[in-house]
Amino acid sequence: MPKLLLVEDNEMNRDMLQRRLQRRGFEVLIAVDGSEGVALAKEALPDLIIMDMSLPILNGWEATRQIKSLSVAKHIPVLALTAHAMAGERDRALDAGCDDYDTKPVDFVRLTGKIEKLLQGSAAS
Amino acid sequence: MSAKTMTSDKKITLQPAGPTDATYRSIVEHAIEGIFQTTPDGHYLLANPALASIYGYSSVDELRSGVREIARQLYVEPTRREEFLQLMNEKDAVWGFESPIHRKDGSVIWISENVRVIRDENGDVSYYEGTVEDISNRKHAEEQLRRAKEAAEEASRSKSQFLANMSHELRTPLNAIIGYSELLREEAEDMGEKSFCDDLKKIEKAGKHLLDLINGVLDIAKIEAGKMEVHVEEFDIAEMLQEVGSTVTPIIEKKGNRLIIETSPGLGKMQTDLTKVRQSLFNLLGNAGKFTENGVVTLSAHRQSDADKDWIILQVRDNGIGMTNEQASRIFEAFTQADSSTTRKFGGTGLGLTITREFCRLIGGEAAVTSTLKVGSTFMIKLPAKFSAIGHEPAAITSFDIEPEVGHAEQPLVLLIDDDLTIHDLVKRFLHKEGFRTICTQYGADGLDLARRLQPSVIVLDVMMPTMDGWSVLSRLKSDPTLSNIPVVMLTMVDDKAMGYTLGVDDYMLKPIERVDFVGVLRKFCDQNNPGTVLVVEDDDTSRELVRDLLEKDHYSVIEARNGLEGLERLAGIVPTLILLDLMMPEMDGFEFAAAVRKIPKLASVPIVVMTAKDITSQDRSRLEGQVARVMQKGLYGRDELLTEIRSHILRATSTPLVAAA
Repeated sequence: MPKLLLVEDNEMNRDMLQRRLQRRGFEVLIAVDGSEGVALAKEALPDLIIMDMSLPILNGWEATRQIKSLSVAKHIPVLALTAHAMAGERDRALDAGCDDYDTKPVDFVRLTGKIEKLLQGSAAS
Repeated sequence: MSAKTMTSDKKITLQPAGPTDATYRSIVEHAIEGIFQTTPDGHYLLANPALASIYGYSSVDELRSGVREIARQLYVEPTRREEFLQLMNEKDAVWGFESPIHRKDGSVIWISENVRVIRDENGDVSYYEGTVEDISNRKHAEEQLRRAKEAAEEASRSKSQFLANMSHELRTPLNAIIGYSELLREEAEDMGEKSFCDDLKKIEKAGKHLLDLINGVLDIAKIEAGKMEVHVEEFDIAEMLQEVGSTVTPIIEKKGNRLIIETSPGLGKMQTDLTKVRQSLFNLLGNAGKFTENGVVTLSAHRQSDADKDWIILQVRDNGIGMTNEQASRIFEAFTQADSSTTRKFGGTGLGLTITREFCRLIGGEAAVTSTLKVGSTFMIKLPAKFSAIGHEPAAITSFDIEPEVGHAEQPLVLLIDDDLTIHDLVKRFLHKEGFRTICTQYGADGLDLARRLQPSVIVLDVMMPTMDGWSVLSRLKSDPTLSNIPVVMLTMVDDKAMGYTLGVDDYMLKPIERVDFVGVLRKFCDQNNPGTVLVVEDDDTSRELVRDLLEKDHYSVIEARNGLEGLERLAGIVPTLILLDLMMPEMDGFEFAAAVRKIPKLASVPIVVMTAKDITSQDRSRLEGQVARVMQKGLYGRDELLTEIRSHILRATSTPLVAAA
C-alpha cells in the first residue's frame, strides 16, 4: 500500500483529500505546515508527498527545497498543489524541486492520475 | 490704438471721472464684466460697479478705498500678483488668467482676468487695464467633474481588485462543496443509495458550474484591471492542436459528434502565450460541441502572410444549430449567449467567448464568427505568429478570412474534397495564383456542409476517401436540389469515366494533376458555365419550374422558394447573383420580401427583378421604387427577352470582371 504524505493547512481540504485518497487504498500521513512536512518526510519516508504551496511557518517551496536537500528523502517525488492556474506558478513549483504540479480546486481523477504516474516513475528508477 | 495715442490719452483716463464720452461711460457703468485700471503697485485707478459687486463691495468708492494692496488683499495665493506682473512684463497682455480671490466678506471665488499693459513714452508701465469675470460656477463644475472622474476610476480599480480577491475567496469553500459532494457520492454508490447519488451529482454539477462562473468572472476582472499577463513561449502549432484535440475529444463526443483536426503543411511554430491560445481553443471547441449533435466539429489551422507579419488562423467549424446574424453579432459580449434561454438549455457560463476574444486581443489577435441558422457556425481566431509586446495593432478580421482562405467575394470559389493534404496544398498553390478562392476539407460529410453554406462555383472531388467515398458524396450532391447545379470535377487515380458521367460528373481529371489542364477545366466552369445563381421566389409551381428550366438551360444555378419567407430562409446561407420575384404570394408577399432583403447589408446590391401577373398600380410602383431593378409583366415577355433582361442585370451587378487567365 503506497504511503502518501499530505502537507496541507486548510482543514477541509486536508480532510477531504485524505478520505478520498484512503478510499483509493493509499495510506495517508498528515502534516499541517511546511516544517512539520519536512520533519515527517525525514522520519516516515513516504512514497510520495503532496505539497500545498501556501503553508504557514514554512511555505511549500521552501519545504520542498529542504526535503530535496536531504539525502534520505530527496528521491521522494513531490507533487505541488498551487492555487492559481498561472503559467508562473508551474515554473516556481518545478524550480523548487517539485516533480509535478496540479492546480486547486482539485480534479480528483486528474490528481490520482498524476500520483500513479509519479509512483510508477519512482518505482522504475 | 498705438501705444503713443494711448499715452496721450493717459491724462484723461487717469481722472476718476473716467471716460468723458457718455456712451463709453454707460458701457463701463453697465457692463456685466468687471472693468478696471490698476497701478503697478496694486491699487485701483478705475473700477466699474460690476467689479465692485464681483468682489463683494457695495460701490466702486468702497472698493477703491477698501482695496489698497491687490496682491495681499485680493489674491488667495500670495505669489499670484507676482506671477501676474511677470507675465505682463513678458507678454504685455494676459488672457484667461484664473485665480481664486477673497471677497470683502472673506469668502473665496474664482475669477478670470483679461489684462493688457499701458506704457508711457519711455516704455515704463503706466497702468494695467482689463476685465474680470466670476468663473466660480465653471470652476465648481470642473472640480466636481474631476472628483467624479477620480472617484469612478478609483471605484473601477477597487471593483476589479475586489472581484479578483473575492473570486479567490469564493473558490476555497466551493472547493469543499465540490470535493465533499464527490466524496459522498462515491460512498453512496458503495452503499447502493441510488437516490442520494442522483442528488449529490446535482450538487456536484451545480458546484462545478458555479466554479466555472467564478473563474470566468475572475479572468474578466483581471483583464479589465489590466492584470492579465502574457507569458510568451515557442511551441509547435500542429502538436498544440493535437494536444488540444485529445483533451476536448470526450466533450465533443458526448453528443455524438466527431472531431476532425486539419493541419496544413508548413504550419511551423508560434511564439506567444500558449495557455491563452489553448484556453481560447478549448472554449471554441467546447462551444461547438455543445451546440452540435451527431455532427462534425473541425479544427483547422493555416498560416497567412501579410506584408510584414505572419498570422496564424485557427478555425473551429461545426454543423450544429447555428445562429442568426443578429445573434452572431452579440455573441462575444459578456453574459450574452445567442438568447437568454440558451443558458438554460445548453448550460455554460456565457463568459467563454468573451474571454476568448479578450485573450486573443491581449496577444495581438482577434476573434470572429460567421454562422448560418440551422447549418452551423465557424469561429475564427487570427493571431500573430510572433507576439510582440510593443506597438501591436489589433488584427482586423475581414469576413473573407472566415471562410475561404484568400481572395474576394467576386472571385470564383473552388471546394476541394480530398483526404490527401498534399493535394490541398497543391490545389491551393495552383488556384490562388489564378484568382480562385479555395476551401478544402478531407471529409465528405464536411464537404457537403460547406457546399450548402458557401455554394461554391465548382467542387473538386476525390474518389478514394475513407469514411465516405467520392461516389457517395457525388450522389448526395446530385440528389440535393440546392447543390445539384454546382459542377463537380472528379479527381482520381482510377480511370472509370463511364461511372462518373452516369452519376452526373461534369468533368474528370486523372491524378497526378497537371496545372494547366486543371486550371483550364475549372476556369471553364467558373467563367462560363456558371454565370450566376438566381433565386426564384414564386408560389405557382408551373411558372417556377418553367423559369427554372429556362435558366438552367442557360447554365444558371437556380434556387427556388415558394414564398417570401422561404426566400429569406434560402438567403440565410447564400448571396445569389439575382433574385427573380413574384409579388402575390402567401405567407410573405413580394413587397415585404423585397423590403426585408434590402435591410440585409450583404444583399444590398443583389438586383431584384419582379415578374408579376398583377396590374401594377402607381402605389405599387412607389412601394417598389428603390428596391427592385425592374418590374416585368408576366406574359408580355418571351423567354429570350427574360434571359436578356437577367443577363444585363447580372452583368451590371457583377461589374468587377472575373480574373483574366494568366
